[in-house]
Amino acid sequence: MTTLPARPPLARSSDRVIAGVCSGLAAHLGWPVKNVRLGMVLASFAGGAGLVFYAWLWIMVPTADEAARRNARRPASPIAPAVSQPMPGQPIQGPATPGYPAQGAAPDAGTPTGADGSVPDGPASAAPPWFRVRGMRYGKEILLGCGLLLVAGIMIAQLLGVDVSLGTLIPAAAVLGGASIAWMQLDETRRAGLVDKTKADQAGGWGRLAAGLALVVAGVLVMVSGSGSWEQTWLALLASVAVLGGVVLVLLPWALKFWRDLEAERAGRIRETERAEIAAHLHDSVLQTLALIQRRAGNEHDVVRLARAQERELRGWLFQDPGRESGQLSDRIKAVAAEVEDLLGNAVEVVTVGDAAMTEAHEALVQASREAMLNASRHGGGTVSVYLEASDGQAEIFIKDRGPGFELGDVPADRLGVRESIVGRMKRHGGSAAILSTGDGTEVRLKLPAAAEHAEGKS
Amino acid sequence: MNTTQGTGAPGTGAGSGRPANSVRVVIVDDHAIFRSGLKADLDASIQVVGEAATVEQAIAVIAEQRPDVVLLDVHLPGGLGGGGREVIAGSAALLSTTRFLALSVSDAAEDVVAVIRAGARGYVTKTISGAEITDAVFRVAGGDAVFSPRLAGFVLDAFGTAPADIADDELDKLSARELEVMRLIARGYSYKEVAKELFISIKTVETHVSAVLRKLQLSSRHELTKWAAERRLL
Repeated sequence: MTTLPARPPLARSSDRVIAGVCSGLAAHLGWPVKNVRLGMVLASFAGGAGLVFYAWLWIMVPTADEAARRNARRPASPIAPAVSQPMPGQPIQGPATPGYPAQGAAPDAGTPTGADGSVPDGPASAAPPWFRVRGMRYGKEILLGCGLLLVAGIMIAQLLGVDVSLGTLIPAAAVLGGASIAWMQLDETRRAGLVDKTKADQAGGWGRLAAGLALVVAGVLVMVSGSGSWEQTWLALLASVAVLGGVVLVLLPWALKFWRDLEAERAGRIRETERAEIAAHLHDSVLQTLALIQRRAGNEHDVVRLARAQERELRGWLFQDPGRESGQLSDRIKAVAAEVEDLLGNAVEVVTVGDAAMTEAHEALVQASREAMLNASRHGGGTVSVYLEASDGQAEIFIKDRGPGFELGDVPADRLGVRESIVGRMKRHGGSAAILSTGDGTEVRLKLPAAAEHAEGKS
Repeated sequence: MNTTQGTGAPGTGAGSGRPANSVRVVIVDDHAIFRSGLKADLDASIQVVGEAATVEQAIAVIAEQRPDVVLLDVHLPGGLGGGGREVIAGSAALLSTTRFLALSVSDAAEDVVAVIRAGARGYVTKTISGAEITDAVFRVAGGDAVFSPRLAGFVLDAFGTAPADIADDELDKLSARELEVMRLIARGYSYKEVAKELFISIKTVETHVSAVLRKLQLSSRHELTKWAAERRLL
């Protein structure tokens, strides 16, 4: 059993004798190239089938370069796989995909799937609804294959002398084909409508719907009129179109109204869900905090702390850009500032400019600034201002308070706070720390150059 | 209220630019509690001549009272939904005599930049203390700009932290000196402290800040709008 995820897409290889079809096919199927070439040559003697197949693949299958370019240009695939793709977290049930090799059979059967160039990029980790996934992705190909098989069967039957009345078969096939085209279309637009309401290729959708409808109408007409004269057929066509037009005219306003109601209801439901989510959040956070504040009304310190913590939480929820990646340096600094604020009750205002991904050296920087914030809040006794300026090049943090200040030399030797946790830590990680203290306050300046990550990152 | 110290801290080093007579102020905010709290917090030398709770009221009161300074909430009901921005636009004729100081609880860069670009002379958060807001009012009344550390951070983020080349359009980048001033303000320095740190006068600091404000208001730099849009609310 070949494992599907490793199967490379069907593309004409650059390692070629004529057009790279055989080696591409071999790479795709995981067979030896020699066998494929031999098979192709042998098949060519069977009424030229191999030659036809080869030519067909040559035309339909892109070269490796083309396939790569096409994949790059078109991100993933349109809507259906995006919808049916299993969630990454979904558990895999049962032994891996007993029926999966069947998927590989679809391109082999000679359907145009291979020309797509992007076939096996699908949901490789086979989650439970694999059959549904496959049904959606290859539905058209399978239908087409069935149709071709049917045609082949009929032709063979005719060759064997069985009398098949083409007069009824062809219209019936036309009806079936038209109906399936139209239905597939319906299914797809519905799905597209669920995903996003822009419906990018609506024109194509309408076109296909019209084609399907025309096929069905033509098939029914031919069947009913029993391959009569053209005149009769035209009359019937005219009559049926007129009837259809009348029905549409009558039903259109009603259908439009129905559609609008549906849209309004959907919008209302979305709003309702949003409102419920906001209400739940406010209940869990703000209402609880307000209740706490009322109970602690006597203690000013507690009230301020609670209010600050709630403000922070609410701000994070309201203003945080959901698309931003978290876990960056600025997030860590803000988290540490919040922690210090909770611990000591003095506000810590953080202003950040730029950002950087966390490294080990950055973690040391965060710890050093935490120590500095603790000192500033404890000894400064007022608002602590924290400013972070980060880029890929370097990171700088300034922590400022407006306390009475201190002399670094006056700090007892056994107090490790400033000397070890701030200055020493920064030096060990290739950064620097400076402490400026005057009567108007103290500022700790921490600096971490980018090169430090590589030189000292492991310490 | 002393414990709720503000982000503001535009500095206690006032003096320059402060008019001798009292300053007439209109407070525009849709929360009555906040208006009365702010009124109680303001210095006695500040005279509150009017209040408004909606965009329409605000434009009417400002046109009638012609105050020196309008303390303007960014988010206001009424009008076309533009909030404080719309009030400034509606009072455009008075912009030469009436200065707007934006007050907000919002941290969103989009709000801040929008109201500054509409013509406000400064931006402070609502948690600012009474003394700080008083100082900010006098500063704005004297024609200066008031930058909170957060606004300075926004400016640095929007304009980038690299100084301008000579080739650049002067509106699109900050000069090296302006960058230094913005950095110090973002670090929580008052104007006085900035002046001391850079060995320049407070007046020069104010000139630099006003220049930055002008760039923020006039720059057509597309990154600025893009930058603000990227940080917009849901």
